[in-house]
This record gives sequence, C-alpha cells and structure tokens, in this order.
Amino acid sequence: MTLESFRMDGKAVVVTGSGRGLGKAMAKALAAVGANLVCAARTPEQIEATVAEIRADGGTAIAVPTDVSKSADVDALVAACVAEYGRIDVMIANAGGGGGQAPAEFFEATDDYFEGVLGTNLKSAFYSDRAASKQMVAQGGGGVIVNVASGTALRGNQQFAYPTAKGGVISLTKSASTMLAKHDIRVNCIVPGYVNQRPPNDEQESEIRRNRGVRVPVRRLGDWWELGPLAVYLASDASRYVTGEIFIIDGAGLAGGLAPVSFAPQHELGAAS
Amino acid sequence: MSPVTPPEHFDLTGKKAMIVGAASPAAAAIARAYAEAGADVALAVLHADDSVMAAKRLQQEIEAAGRKSAVYVMDVTLGRNVQVTTRQIAKEMGGVDIAVCASDLFLGKPIAKTSDSELQQVMAYNFNAHYFVARSASEEMMRTGGGRILVLTHVLGERGLSNTSAYGAAHAATQNLVRSLSQELGPHHITINGISAGWMDWMTDRLDESDDDAGRAVRFTLARRAGTPEDLAPLALYLVGDGVGYVSGQIFHVDGGLTQHL
Repeated sequence: MTLESFRMDGKAVVVTGSGRGLGKAMAKALAAVGANLVCAARTPEQIEATVAEIRADGGTAIAVPTDVSKSADVDALVAACVAEYGRIDVMIANAGGGGGQAPAEFFEATDDYFEGVLGTNLKSAFYSDRAASKQMVAQGGGGVIVNVASGTALRGNQQFAYPTAKGGVISLTKSASTMLAKHDIRVNCIVPGYVNQRPPNDEQESEIRRNRGVRVPVRRLGDWWELGPLAVYLASDASRYVTGEIFIIDGAGLAGGLAPVSFAPQHELGAAS
Repeated sequence: MSPVTPPEHFDLTGKKAMIVGAASPAAAAIARAYAEAGADVALAVLHADDSVMAAKRLQQEIEAAGRKSAVYVMDVTLGRNVQVTTRQIAKEMGGVDIAVCASDLFLGKPIAKTSDSELQQVMAYNFNAHYFVARSASEEMMRTGGGRILVLTHVLGERGLSNTSAYGAAHAATQNLVRSLSQELGPHHITINGISAGWMDWMTDRLDESDDDAGRAVRFTLARRAGTPEDLAPLALYLVGDGVGYVSGQIFHVDGGLTQHL
C-alpha cells in the first residue's frame, strides 16, 4: 500500500530545466516510476538528450524548448503537455540560474542585473505555477506543483539577487499552497544545498569536490541523483497530506551553521549561574 | 557513492528497523510500511500492558508478510533500559540500521495547574525518550558503519498554543536534538531527521470537547481534514532509504499545510 503510493504510472509531468543537472535527474527518476515526461529547457540538444535517455530506459518523454522567463513560453509548454498527454498532473518548476557575478558593492547592482535574476528564478516559478494550476483546475482540479529554491535563500549570501529570488520562491510556495488547496493542488518546494550537477570529469575535479565536502556536516557534497527519490515522494500520492512545505536536502548544512563543522565544544558540567 | 534509483531507494530488503513506541498508530503504520518494503522490524512498546498484545498482533502481520519481527518492552524514561533493550534488539535482529522513536505523551494544562511530576513525565516521554533512543541506536549504527534515525515530533514544538507549554517545549527540545545530532553524527554516516505531525486523527481527544467549536483546529489545516497514520508512513519510508544520505538535520511537516499560513 505504501510502496504503491510512490508509483506515478500515466501521470503527465513537466520538469523545467531538465536538460542537465538536478532537473534531468528528477525527470529520469519520475520516468522510472511510470510518469510521462515533458522535458523543458532553453537548449534543445540537452533536453533531447534527456528524452533519449528516458526512452532508452523504456520511459515516455517529449522535449519542448522553453524560455521560462517568458510567460508565453511557459503557457505554450503546458499546452504542449496537454496536447501530448491530454492533461498535466505535476509541474516541477526547477529552471533557474545564478545570473552571473554580483557586483562587489551592493549599491552598485543595476536594475538590469536584479530584474534579470528575478526573471530567471522567481518570475519563472510564478509563470510555471500559474500555467500549471490554471490547467489543473480546468481539467477538474487535483495536481502537484514542486518549486525548486536554494539553501542560499535561508542564509545571507553576497550574490544577493539569487538568494532574494529563491527566497521569493519559498514564499510563493507557501502562499500558492493556501490558494490552491481548495482545488486539491499541493505546492511544495525543494531546497538543495551544495549538490554536484553531474559526475566529475577527472580526478582533479573529484579532489576539488572532496575538499569542499569537508565543510558539509555529512562530509561530502550531494549528487544530482539524490534529488530523484525526493522528487518522486513530492510528486506522488505518497505526500498527499503535505503542502506548503520546504524540503531541504543539504547534508545537514542549514541545521548547523553557528561554527565551522569541525567545531565541537568540550566542557564538563560546572555550577549553574 | 553510486547512484540509487527510486525503486532501489524504496526497497529496504535486508534492513533491520527498530520502532519505539510501536503501539502508537503512526508507529504501527510505519512498521507496516517498512515490512512491506522488505525490512525486518523490531517493535518496542513503552509499557508492559495491553500494548504488548497489540504489538504481538502487528508482529504476526509482519511475519505473515515473510519478514522477521519481535516485540520488546522498552522503558524509555530510563536511558540504561533503552540501551540494554537496543543492544538486545541488535543482537537478536542482526543489527539496527533504522531507528524510529514515536514516543509521545500529551498534556494540555495551564502552567499554574501543571505539577512538577507532570512536567517531568512530559519531558521524559517527549524529549528524553528521543535522546535515549538516538544515543543507543547511534551507538549500534557506529559499529556497522551508519544508519538512519527518525523521530516523530509535533508542530506544537515550533508554535505557541495556550496550555501546551510543557508539551511544546519538550517537542521543541526534540527538534533541536535532531539539528545538533545531524552535525555530530554526520561524519559517522548516520542521518537523523524528524517528522512533525499536525492534527492527526488519533489526536482528536487533545481538542477540548467542551468547546463547541473544537473542530476549528482541523479547519485551520489547509487540507481541511485530520491526518492519518498512512499519511505519515511514506515520508518515514523516504527518510530511511539508501539514497537519502544527503538529507539530515531536518524536521519535515506532515500537517496538511497547517503550519504554512497565517
């Protein structure tokens, strides 16, 4: 009974940003439990490769090139899902990006820089959630939306625009969940910490990852495929009583953070003061 | 580590799970889910009373599914008893890969009417029990190279509510236990997480029956219904699979959206 709740046979699922990295890993995981995929991203070659891998494993998928920072593109993406599968059951709004280096001084950031980062990371999530929920309600209600934010949203970071946008994604998740509950649409959010987007290219890259991993409480960086089971839990009926929630997957990084991970005070009991 | 696909992640074949507080509806649902996924399940009840018989019935159900199971009585108010029983379970089951602590004791009273003894009991069952189980289970897991610890807690551990000062404080302590131990146990390949329940169907007796509008707590939940044990079980399964090693130190709500709005 519990195991069956993780199955997604015949469900129509859109994953944005699924040409590589975490989006690709989630798309492949969802296909592995029976979902029919629509893989979206700007670069056609990458999503076509994801589709080819899903099909090679016996799954069903199509590629729809999409710029998620344009609402008309996102509306067309959902329409393409409906044209192919007759409906949409799940939207994984994963697409996003860093937006380049922030200026060294906060007050030197330009309008274009800030708006560009918001467009890619926050407006894109709104466009995706809006287009998906509109279709879900039109087809009779029920559905699942999963947004993808970032651990940087929950701590300060000098890239400031990206964490600000991702913080908006978390708030969007909570507020959208309150408005969509009456339509039986659940909205949740994945918050990844430091996660490798792909296997290392060489030993040097492996070494860099090992050294960075020492600063994470579980003593390693995460890997792309680790998003797969979480996406399956959140997209399926297994999470039917969960909405508005953020799911942090960060090797316990955000649970700590008051000191470097190697810091462990040693102090015997004295007198209370 | 090598990639784990979703079907592999949700397969617990060969894993040994210890469920503490097995008489609670949530724990029983989790035990069933773990057995369904292939794990052997030790059922530890908190008192040598009717709960033993209920656990025996659950044991038979699990054994009928082809898994190994056994019932233990664990006095979670005593750290030494938790340690001895955990060692016995590890010896008889062949290890402890997964430990779930569902110990819980509710009290709804104004602070002025709460006795010292009531406060101590509430702390013992809602906090100390989780501390003792995490301590003993992690000791076993360090021997075998890692494991998964899961505590069941409650949303009152992070929101204020009249008459729940003792209960809420104890659960708040348990939730920070999860955060602290995630740091301490992380290098030992042991993850620890919490599931925070909202208003569940077996907790409706916590609502004031003399209140004409006692249903308002459930109506405040976005899902407009109380949760069920079966609502918790899938997350409890997700949080103990092989592919969840990068998730630790977190408290996840299964509350129908209760804590997510104004």
